[in-house]
Amino acid sequence: MATTTASDAPLSRIRTSMLGARLREAGWGYAFALAPIAVFGLFFIYPFGYAIYISFFHWGILGKQPGGAGTFNYATVLHDPVFHTALKNVAEYTVGVVPLEMALGLSLALVVNQKIRGRNFFRSAFYFPSIASSVAITTIALYIFNSDGLFNRIIGSSTPWFTTASTVTWAIVGLNAWTTSGTVMLFYLAALQSIPTEVYEAAALDGTGAWRTFWRITFPLLKPAHFFVLVVFGIGALKVFDQQFIVSGGSGGPNYSTFTPILYVYNAAFQNFDFGVAAAAGVVYFVVIFVLTIIQRLTVGRQEIA
Amino acid sequence: MMLQTAATAATAEAYIPGRARSEIARKAFLYAILLVVAAIFFVPFLWTLVTSFKTIPDSVNVTLIPHPWTTAAWHEIWTGYSFGTFFKNSIFLAVVVTACNIFLGGLGGYAFARLRFPGRELLFLLVLGTLMVPDQLRLIPVYVMLTNWHLIGNFSGYILINLVTATNLFFMRQYFLTIPRDFEEAAKLDGASYFKTFWRVMLPLALPAMSALVILQFQGTWNDFFWPLILFGQGNPSHYTIQLGLAELHFSYSTLWPQICAGSILAILPILVIFLVFQRYFISGIVSAGVKG
Repeated sequence: MATTTASDAPLSRIRTSMLGARLREAGWGYAFALAPIAVFGLFFIYPFGYAIYISFFHWGILGKQPGGAGTFNYATVLHDPVFHTALKNVAEYTVGVVPLEMALGLSLALVVNQKIRGRNFFRSAFYFPSIASSVAITTIALYIFNSDGLFNRIIGSSTPWFTTASTVTWAIVGLNAWTTSGTVMLFYLAALQSIPTEVYEAAALDGTGAWRTFWRITFPLLKPAHFFVLVVFGIGALKVFDQQFIVSGGSGGPNYSTFTPILYVYNAAFQNFDFGVAAAAGVVYFVVIFVLTIIQRLTVGRQEIA
Repeated sequence: MMLQTAATAATAEAYIPGRARSEIARKAFLYAILLVVAAIFFVPFLWTLVTSFKTIPDSVNVTLIPHPWTTAAWHEIWTGYSFGTFFKNSIFLAVVVTACNIFLGGLGGYAFARLRFPGRELLFLLVLGTLMVPDQLRLIPVYVMLTNWHLIGNFSGYILINLVTATNLFFMRQYFLTIPRDFEEAAKLDGASYFKTFWRVMLPLALPAMSALVILQFQGTWNDFFWPLILFGQGNPSHYTIQLGLAELHFSYSTLWPQICAGSILAILPILVIFLVFQRYFISGIVSAGVKG
């Protein structure tokens, strides 16, 4: 009995010191996480709600204007033919660019996955445009595809590809497929290298040709990579902005052919100074992308990408 | 290691008898394709570099050797069109934003990976939630807030909204989770404080993750066009970044091709240099960030 009471005091002291250690750890935890949490709260989470709030008011460069709350900004956006054109443009662009990125990326990955001399050099060369500035790449493309630029001199034409309404979307599709194919290549390369060697050895012993091996074995085994690229680069394509802005000087021209939803938000805010409409367009487009993401996750994205 | 498996796959295929000739033909075909593709990747940059040493009338000629050869375009953009200032602005912002991201992303990542505090899981959900908030949605409110705080058109506004990203914090947290606890236990026994443990023990151990983040964040900030356009585009050109300066040069003087080409090279150059030195980190960073995020 006496021994228990004697050992009770140190035990409770240990317990209090453990509690102290716990509290100290929690305190430091909060201290360390404070700045990032403040940044995320202030510049991401709070603006999310604030954007929705602004979208229900007449809001100009000087702030909220009289007139009360209402859904008028949403009516403006949803009935604006320019917004419809912007959605159509970005849909065309996305449908065009994603398969091309996948095809180019996979082809490059297959090539640089071979046992060839200078493999690392080619990998780096193909990857580099992905990390070069989009502004510089776009101005270079404008120079090369100018009416008297290198490309037209070679093919003997004089179409200014990036400033003609009927060609500009496809010109940007080609440009961005070229720049991003290097990144797509890296993802496919990682996936190709995770395919077990035995699979190929078995195919080789069976005398299966290279073409057949690819379509029957490699391509289906790359399924997770296909889904990953489709989801990530599909969402990325919907957010395209820089190229259209540079090509059109921010105007979305010629004839609204380079208007994208994000350019619409930008123009509503900084050309028309109508922040209410800009916020509403931002919310509408957020919902569009969100719904598409959910659909993608539920259909193609289900398979082991997460 | 992974490369090796792929290489064995290729050799295994080559051993099949009767395949030798078709193998040579296949190799030749492969190299032909490679050279054509490599040309498509190189010619635009080469062409831009060549043009930057041409005169304006010469810039529409399809010639590989500038005639006459001149560095006038380079002098002109560096001083006349203030690309010197833009270059310095971009370096400054990229360095500061990268440093802040590594420090705060590391600090927050360490807290979420290792320290126990009430509400940690809930706060971590908030961190992941920020990944869902796209720029086009926060553009207007962030602009309104920065306007109210008089932070439009100056560097502090840009730095403030880019102090740390959820991606970087997440990346650091994932890396810290892979480091064995023994290192911290040892530091704790030595009586090191939590900050000292983080700074002296954990951060150095996370060097591979940090290197990848430094490179990707520097590149992201250097190439950023959207936020500089929003925050500095309406104001004084003395705050332009190189990307914004290049865009404005193109908008105002769309036929000054030698100058525009020199500006484009300048806007790419630091990233090219970093890429050539740190290729390994770029490639591993992209793949792991993509696979995990």
